[in-house]
Amino acid sequence: MLEADVEVDRRDFAVRADLRVAPGERLALFGPSGAGKTTLLEAIAGLVRPRRARIALAGRLLTSTEPPACTIPPWQRRVGLLRQDPGLFPHLSVRDNLRYARSATAPGAELAKLTAELGIDGLLAAMPARLSGGQAHRVALGRLLFSHCDALLLDEPYAGLDASLRRVLTDLVVTLVAEREVPAILVAHELAEAQAFADRLAVIDRGTVLQAGTPHDVVLRPAWRRVAELVGYTGFVPVPGATGTVAGIHPERVIVGAHPARGLVLAGVVTTCRPAGALWEIIMQLRAGTDDRATGGAIAGGVAAEVGVAGSGVASSGVAGSGVAGSGVAGTEQTRGPVSVTGRLPTPQVAGEELVITADDPPCFGPDGAALTLRAAGIGR
Amino acid sequence: MAGAGLIWIALLGPVIALLTHLSWSAISSALSAPGALDPLVVSLESGAVTLAVLLLLGTPLAWMLARGTLPFPRVWEAGVLCSLLLPPLVIGLLLIFMIGPYTPIGQLLAHVNLSTTNTFLALVIAEVYESAPYYVLGAQAAFSGVDPRLEQQAELLGDRPRRVFRRVTLPLAAPGLTMALAVAWARAMGAFGAVVIIAYHPFGIPMQIYSTLQVTGLASALPFALVLLVVALPLPLAAYTWSARARGRRRG
Repeated sequence: MLEADVEVDRRDFAVRADLRVAPGERLALFGPSGAGKTTLLEAIAGLVRPRRARIALAGRLLTSTEPPACTIPPWQRRVGLLRQDPGLFPHLSVRDNLRYARSATAPGAELAKLTAELGIDGLLAAMPARLSGGQAHRVALGRLLFSHCDALLLDEPYAGLDASLRRVLTDLVVTLVAEREVPAILVAHELAEAQAFADRLAVIDRGTVLQAGTPHDVVLRPAWRRVAELVGYTGFVPVPGATGTVAGIHPERVIVGAHPARGLVLAGVVTTCRPAGALWEIIMQLRAGTDDRATGGAIAGGVAAEVGVAGSGVASSGVAGSGVAGSGVAGTEQTRGPVSVTGRLPTPQVAGEELVITADDPPCFGPDGAALTLRAAGIGR
Repeated sequence: MAGAGLIWIALLGPVIALLTHLSWSAISSALSAPGALDPLVVSLESGAVTLAVLLLLGTPLAWMLARGTLPFPRVWEAGVLCSLLLPPLVIGLLLIFMIGPYTPIGQLLAHVNLSTTNTFLALVIAEVYESAPYYVLGAQAAFSGVDPRLEQQAELLGDRPRRVFRRVTLPLAAPGLTMALAVAWARAMGAFGAVVIIAYHPFGIPMQIYSTLQVTGLASALPFALVLLVVALPLPLAAYTWSARARGRRRG
C-alpha cells in the first residue's frame, strides 16, 4: 500500500493531495500541464521537500513532517520513477543498465524471462545511444522492475512515442504491475492514456485533486465544471428554468434528433462539419430567439436551448471536496452571445442547415461550478 | 575549412620555425652535455605532482561549481578567473608577498624545513597557479555536461551520492575531465612566468631554455624546446585519443 498525504509549496500555488494506492492498483493522475502532478511524484520519490507530508510505502514510513519527523533519502526508498526521458546511463550497455541497481541481483533466468517479456532480449549488448525511443523505454522499465522497487511512478513516460507503441507499452505495464503486485501511479495529461492505464483516475488542477473515481465515472459524472472541461466537455449550455445552471455537452455524448427522455435537446444551425476520426465533427450554433413550443424554454440573452422536459428542479449533489472552487461561474454565460456546441456524429451534416441533437444525460453544474443532480422532473432520466 | 587550416598553420608556425632552425649537431651537443637531461626529470616530476594536486583539490571545486551547490557561485568563479587573468609573472611576484620566506606562512613552513622559494615545492606551487584555472574551468564544463536527472535516477535505483558520483558522474564526465587535465598538463610543463620568480631553481625545461639562452645563446637553447615538445606532447595526445574513444563507445 502506498499512502501519500502531501503538501508541497510551489511558486504559484501549493500542491495538495491525499492518495492511497493498493498493491497491484493503478492510479492515474490526470490534469493539464503545470497542475502539480510531477511535483507529487517527486515528493513521493523524495526528490522535492514537502511542506507537510506523511508518505508510507509497504508499511515503511518514508516521509513524515510530524513528530517523529523522518525523511528517508531517495536511495533507500525503493521507489521506481520513469520519466519521459528514459534516463538510461549512456556509458553502460543495456545489460549493465538493467543490472544497475544493487538490489538487481536477479539470477540470469529472471533476466532472460523479463527481457523476453519486454522484447529487449536481443539488445543486451547494445549501447543506449543505438536504441529507438520505444526500445529505450522498455529497457528503462526493465531496469525499474529489476531493481525490485516497491512502487512504480510513471511520469508521462510515453509522451512523444507513437500511439500504437504507447498502447503496447501501457498494456505491458498493466500486466507487470498486476504480476508484481506493486502500487503504480501514472501521470498523464492525455485522458485516453490515463483511461487505458488506470483502475482509478484522479483529476488534478492547480495543485488540487478535484475528483477521484473510476475513469468511467469521472468522465460520465464530473463533480465540477472544471473537471468536465478537463475530461472533454467542450460546450456548456444554460439550463432553462434554473438560473445559473449549465449542462456540460460532451462531443461524443450527443445523438441526432430530439430524444427528450434521454437528456437535453438542442436545436440550432450547423456552422462547420469536418471529419474527425471515423466520425464527423459538427459545430452547431444554438438557435437564438424564443421557441413557441411548450416544452421549450427561452433563455436570456437570446440563446435558446430547447429542453425536452420543462421545469427542471435543481438540487445540490453534495460533492466531496468542499472549498474547491470551480473554474467559473456558469450563469454569466447566459447574458453573453450565442452559444455553440460541438458534437461528433456518425453521419455528415450540411453546413447552414438546421439540426436537432440531444445531449445524452448531460452533467449539470451550478453557479459555483459544482455538479448538481436534477430531480426526476428535470433533465433526462 | 580554410579558416581552420589557416589558424592551424599559424599555430604550428613556431614549431616549424623551431624544426628548421635546429641541426642534428646542435641537438646532440646540447643534449650530450653532462646533466643536460636533469631539467627534463624535474619538469616531469613537478608536472606529475601538479596534476595530482589538481585532481585532488580541483575536481571537488569544479563539481561544486557545476552543480551550483556553493553559495555565491559567481564569486567562486571570479576567484578562479583571477588567477587566469593575472600575468604569471605578477602571480609569481605576489606569491613572494604571500608565501615568501619573510611572510608568516613562509616562516611557518621554515619550522618544518620547507621553503617556498627556489625549491621543488616552489616549482609545484608555481605550476599549480598557472595550470589550475584551466583544469577547474574545463572540469566544471565536463561536470555540467552530465544530466543531473541521470544522477537522480541512480539515487532512486539505490546508490548513495558518493556511489552515484563514482558510477555515473565520474564516468560520464571522464572524457571532459581528461581533456581538461591534458590542457592543464601542457600549461604546467610550459609554466615560466611565476616559475622564474619563485622557482629559478631547480631548473625545469623552460628555465633551462631561458638560462641557456642567456648564457650561450639561442642555438644551444632551442634543442631543449624540442625536448619539451617531444616529452610533453604524448600525454595530452593520449588523453585526447582516449576521450574520443570513450565518446565513440557511448555512441555504440
